[in-house]
Amino acid sequence: MASTLSPDTRTGTARRSRSAPEQPPRRRRGLTPSWLPWVLLAPALTVLGGLLLYPLGRVVTLSVQDFGLRQLVTGESEWVGLGNFAEVLADPLLWRVALPNTAVFALVNVALTVVVGTLVALLLARVGPWARGLLTSAIMVAWAIPAVTGTYVWVFLFDARSGPVMRLLGSLGLIDPETTNWFTERLPFYGIATLNVVHHGFPFVAVTVLAGLMTLPKDAMEAAALDGANAWQRFWHITVPLLKPVFAVVTILSTIWDFKVFTQIYLMPGGSGTNREVLNLGTWSYITAISQNRYGLGAAIAVLLTLLLLVITMFYLRTLFRQEEL
Amino acid sequence: MRTRRWTIAAAALCLLTAGCGSGSGKASSGFEAGADETINAEGETLTVWIMEGTNPDAEPFFDELSTAFTEETGAELDVQFVPWAEAHDKFVKSIAGGTTPDVAEVGTTWTPEFADAGALVDLSSQVESSGLSNDLVPGLVEAGTIDGALYGMPWYAGVRSVVYRTDLFEAAGVEPPTTWDEIVTVGKAIKKADPDVIPFPIAGDSEYGAYPFVWGGGGEIAVEEGGTWTSTIDSPEAQQGLEFYTGLATEHGLSTPAATTWNEADLSDAFSRGEVAMMISGSWTPGALLEANPDLEGKIGAFPIPGPDGGYSPSFLGGSHLSVFNTAENPDLAWALVRLMGTGEFAEKWGDQSGFFPGTTPLLEKVQAADDPLVSPFATQMVEAGASLPVTPLYGQVQGKKTVAAMLQSILSGDKSVEEASAAAADEMDAVFSRGS
Repeated sequence: MASTLSPDTRTGTARRSRSAPEQPPRRRRGLTPSWLPWVLLAPALTVLGGLLLYPLGRVVTLSVQDFGLRQLVTGESEWVGLGNFAEVLADPLLWRVALPNTAVFALVNVALTVVVGTLVALLLARVGPWARGLLTSAIMVAWAIPAVTGTYVWVFLFDARSGPVMRLLGSLGLIDPETTNWFTERLPFYGIATLNVVHHGFPFVAVTVLAGLMTLPKDAMEAAALDGANAWQRFWHITVPLLKPVFAVVTILSTIWDFKVFTQIYLMPGGSGTNREVLNLGTWSYITAISQNRYGLGAAIAVLLTLLLLVITMFYLRTLFRQEEL
Repeated sequence: MRTRRWTIAAAALCLLTAGCGSGSGKASSGFEAGADETINAEGETLTVWIMEGTNPDAEPFFDELSTAFTEETGAELDVQFVPWAEAHDKFVKSIAGGTTPDVAEVGTTWTPEFADAGALVDLSSQVESSGLSNDLVPGLVEAGTIDGALYGMPWYAGVRSVVYRTDLFEAAGVEPPTTWDEIVTVGKAIKKADPDVIPFPIAGDSEYGAYPFVWGGGGEIAVEEGGTWTSTIDSPEAQQGLEFYTGLATEHGLSTPAATTWNEADLSDAFSRGEVAMMISGSWTPGALLEANPDLEGKIGAFPIPGPDGGYSPSFLGGSHLSVFNTAENPDLAWALVRLMGTGEFAEKWGDQSGFFPGTTPLLEKVQAADDPLVSPFATQMVEAGASLPVTPLYGQVQGKKTVAAMLQSILSGDKSVEEASAAAADEMDAVFSRGS
């Protein structure tokens, strides 16, 4: 793979070095007016502003309004300050159900996704090119399956009456299908959701970590092996520190994805609001805003979720930069 | 905001074109032509949303309707089918974006909500001057009336009763039950005759299965006093009904744990797989059940939901209105379609094809007279024991919150007792009622 990449890289550098001498004098002569970059950026900024900043700002505005269907039609709105936030924070559902479900689920899933993904990446790095191609395409399929389809497959597998898993465990005498429905209880429900989310999320980690593994200097590994370091020591003392930025990226992205997981929960039996024990911040926000037309309150939940994510991401980034300074 | 801009634009247009009709005193209705007047709208297109699945094969019906409509008015129809499951969200989003259709089929429980939001046009004057006032099914009129104004023309109605397998009943040597106690004895006899069959699955995600027993026990969901609604789903009568209904699963073992998370579609699927002996199901379902499994032909029957000691337990009388949205550019044209679909030949044909009951009384009487074994039990239920949910847009929020289904599921899964679960549901409803819209 490295040999096929190098010609491109070479031409890339060549092009860059050819054009390099022309640029500094131009800038010195001031032929580029200061507004030009902004004009060139304008289309991209407009798209970003329209698709990203406007909805973001709208959600924040909504979160301090009492906004229902009537307000939607008339265009009037009533400011309630932090009333929506007060209502959310005072709701026992937040502390007892939604927040723990969101945070614990995300924590467990990020850990599992990164561990499984890394193990698969290490495996892929060891096997021959033919097996690697085959395995990579196989895990790509897991990645490519839409969340909706994947969820229905997992729900089918664990269906209380006709699910293959239930039948198998029932025939082995491990459970009693006459009295079991896993979707009604919090832990089994989230256990199944974890299988679904990790299965869907690990390919990204595996492929990214594999790309990182390919860039590792072979001599460091060989030297360590000569010094008598075993496989685990080599992994922990050489691979992990060198791949720290890669792990930081996959962890942050997985955290963001697993915190705002929605489809995989909403589509499971009871996940759309009938089983209050399994609500998370995402489904709770959607049900509040869309099913009950309380857009202000739903937006407040969404804003809280975003703030939570920002804090966690900042914490990660800080840890990462502190490590680099050392 | 966008709507307001349109209103201003429309008002400006009005001024330019020498005044709008005098009839449009109310901002919400923009009718100019007489209710029965034939209008010429050559070149215009009317957008219509119809719920998918009501009529298993709706295309030919709407092809025919389009042709008739174009013949009458010159305008084209653009019919779009929307699945029930996502229809509410889709309506709300389109109301938000100002992209509502001109005419739409609106579920009777949503009509008060959309009307209250100001998205629908008041049809009272048109209905009255067409002489339809006395011909409409009262339950549907009630469901579509807010502050004395009718926001939906009754199109069709349906009601839930019990659909059962005649062959399984015969094998177990039992007759359809006529009291609550008999439901238990019949269920147990069926289970004994064939342990693989689920005698009476209690679907946890189906509020409509529970209402008949709340009402049958003598309870109410909520009562209005002086303009304020109060939930009574935790009254002793309602609790007694819920106790019986959920007890069929938790006490008598006539259901299956899987059903705790089932909705009505899952229930129908299980029935057409042949796993179910009887279930609460809609008057519109036998056709679809037979289509899903033709082997059931001749093995399906229906009976009204029994009362505790005979008689009937009331069941929710639901259905659809035809409503005109305030974004309709030509309300007269929209009304012309509502009239064409809601009365006469097309209304009758729709009822025949979809298995629903027509929304007008003359047509309903005609159906009752036909005496079909898969139709008349439902007709009896509808006429003798039809009931409506609290007619307030706030109840739409209660349904959006799935309060009743959550209550059912927590009882069925053993998380809560009937007392705890119904008290929690009543608190949740009262919180919605006291907050207002």
